[in-house]
Amino acid sequence: MTIHAQASERRHTAPGGPDGQSPIVVRGLTKQYGELTAVDDLTFTVTPGRVTGFLGPNGAGKTTTLRMLLGLVAPTSGTATIGDRLYADLPEPTRVVGAVLEASSAHRGRTGRNHLRAACIATGLEISRADATLEMVGLMAAADRPFKGYSLGMRQRLGIASAMLGDPDVLILDEPANGLDPEGIRWMRTLLQGLASEGRTVLVSSHLLSEMQALADEVVIVAAGRLARQGSIDDIIAPLSIGAPVQVSTPQPERLAAALRSAGATVTIPNGTALRVLGIEESLIGDLAFSVGVPVHRLYTETPDLEDAFLTLTHAEAAIR
Amino acid sequence: MKRLVHAELFKLRTTNAWWLFALAILASTVTMLVVNGINAYSLLQPFNSFVNLHSHGHAGSIPADFLAHLRQEWTAGHDGIGQAAMLYTSGQLIGVLLVCLLGIVMVTSEFYQQTATFTFLQTPRRSAVIRGKLVAALLVAGLAWLVSTVISVAAGAAFLHSQGYSTGLGHWAVDRAILLNLAAYLLWTLFGIGFGCLVRHQLAATVSATVLYLIGATAAATVFELLNTYVLNQNWVLAAQVVVPPVASTVMVSATQAFEQSPPAWVGAVVLLVWSLVAIRLGDRRLQRHDIT
Repeated sequence: MTIHAQASERRHTAPGGPDGQSPIVVRGLTKQYGELTAVDDLTFTVTPGRVTGFLGPNGAGKTTTLRMLLGLVAPTSGTATIGDRLYADLPEPTRVVGAVLEASSAHRGRTGRNHLRAACIATGLEISRADATLEMVGLMAAADRPFKGYSLGMRQRLGIASAMLGDPDVLILDEPANGLDPEGIRWMRTLLQGLASEGRTVLVSSHLLSEMQALADEVVIVAAGRLARQGSIDDIIAPLSIGAPVQVSTPQPERLAAALRSAGATVTIPNGTALRVLGIEESLIGDLAFSVGVPVHRLYTETPDLEDAFLTLTHAEAAIR
Repeated sequence: MKRLVHAELFKLRTTNAWWLFALAILASTVTMLVVNGINAYSLLQPFNSFVNLHSHGHAGSIPADFLAHLRQEWTAGHDGIGQAAMLYTSGQLIGVLLVCLLGIVMVTSEFYQQTATFTFLQTPRRSAVIRGKLVAALLVAGLAWLVSTVISVAAGAAFLHSQGYSTGLGHWAVDRAILLNLAAYLLWTLFGIGFGCLVRHQLAATVSATVLYLIGATAAATVFELLNTYVLNQNWVLAAQVVVPPVASTVMVSATQAFEQSPPAWVGAVVLLVWSLVAIRLGDRRLQRHDIT
C-alpha cells in the first residue's frame, strides 16, 4: 500500500477534528523576550486542503510562532491551536501533527533508521513506519548511515520522514527548502502539494519567496512579529497590479506615444521599439493603437510578483531587531 | 510510560554510549577487584607475613611505631567477612560515578545533540520524558550493579576460597554490603538525572558532578573541620558533613563507621535520597518552564 493510499484509508478515523480536518488557529499570539516583542498580537488561520506559506524576513518571528504552536515555547499571551486543541493537550500529537523545525535534530552517532525507530517506540507506532517513511523520502540507501554523515538535504529529508511517521493531518515545516538542491525542492513541492490535496493542513515557513510562489496556495506574511497580510497569492498581488505600468512593443513608437499622451497617459520610451505606459489600462492601449492604425507586436502589464508584494508589505519593518 | 522507557533504552543501545558505559563498568570493576584482591591477600596473611610483605623482607629493621601502625591496620583488616564485603563491592568506587554520569548524559545530550525539540514534539509532557529516562537509567544502573557484582563475587569467592577463608555469602554483613551497593548505584543514578535537569550544559554538568564526587568528601571534611575548630566546637558539626552527597554515600555503604562522628548508615541513605529527589523536582520544574529553542 502506498503512503497516500494509507493516508486516504486513515482519513475515516483521523483523530484531528470532526472529519479529520484540523485547521490551525492563531489568536492574539504574543511572545516577549524582555524588551523585545518577538511575536506581536499575531492572528491568522490555516485551512486544511491547501499549502499555506508562512513568509517573513529573518527575525520576523516565524520560528517563535511555530514553536509556540507546537508547545515548545510558552506564549506571553494569546493562543495557538490545532483542531481546536493545544498541541500539548493532543493525546497522540504525532498522529495529528508532523513537524520539522530544524534539520539538525538527531543524535550525531545514531543512524537515520534508528532515529526514526526510537520515535516509533516512544509514540507507540509500528516500527515498520520508519522504513515506510524512509522509502517515501528516498533515504533508504542511507538508512544505516550515522546522522553525522548526512548532507543538509538528507537531514531535511529525514526531518520530513520523522514528521510523516504518524501519518498526520497537519504538517508544519520550518524552512524545509534550506539545503535542498533544485531536484529536492521540486520533490518537496510535489510531496507537500500532494499531501494538501488529500485534505491535510500544510504550513510551510520560508524566506525563499520564489519557492513560496511556486508552492503555496495562500500566504501569511509577517514582519517584525506582526501580521502584514494574509490571503491567496493572487489576492495579495492584485491590488499592487492596479496602475501597474504596461509594456508595449511597436514598430512605430513615436506615433503611438503621441496618441497615448493625448489620451492622458505618461509614456516613456526605454528603447527603439518599446514603450512603457502609465495611467492607462492594457485594453485601452490596444483599442487606441487600433484606432490610430499602429501595429502592436506585444502588449502586457508588468505584474508584480510575490517578491515585490513582500518587499512592499514589509518595507517599513527592519528584518533584524 | 512503558514505551517511553523502551524508547530511552533503545536510544541508549543505538549510540556508542552503550559500549563505552559497559566497557567502563567492566574495566573499573576489574581494576578495583585487582587492587582490593592484592590488599585482601596481604591483610589475610598471618601478621608476620603481612609485616614481611610491607617491609619487603626487612621486618626486623622497621621502627616500633610503624610496626604498631601495621598491627592496627592488620587487626582491622584481618577478617574474611570484611574482606569479602570489600571484594564483592569492588565496582562501587567508580561504578556509582559512572551511573551518575549516565543519568546526566541521558538528560543533557538532548540539549547537546539538539534532539530536545524532536523528543518534546513526540512527548509534549516533559515530566513523562524525564520519568521515562529515570526508569530506563535505573534499569541500566541495576544491570551495571548486577554485572559488576557477579564478576566481583565470582572472582572474590574463588580468591577467598583459595586462601582458605569462607566466601562469606549468606553472612548478613556481606549481603548487606552487596545490597547497599545496589542502593548506592540507584541513588546516584537518581541524583545524575536530577543534576542533568538542573545543569543542562553537558560538559558543565559532567565535570562538576565528577569533581563533586571525587573531591567532595575531602573538601567537606576540611570545611567542617575548620567550622568545628573556629566557629562551633560541637561534635554534631562534624557529623553534619553527611549532608554532602559523596559523604552521605560513604556513610551509607561503610561496613564500619565512615568517620569518628559518623551518623548511622540509614542517615546517609536518606540524605542521598533527599538530594536526588530535590534535584529531580527542581530540575523538572525548571524544564517545564524552559522554552525549547
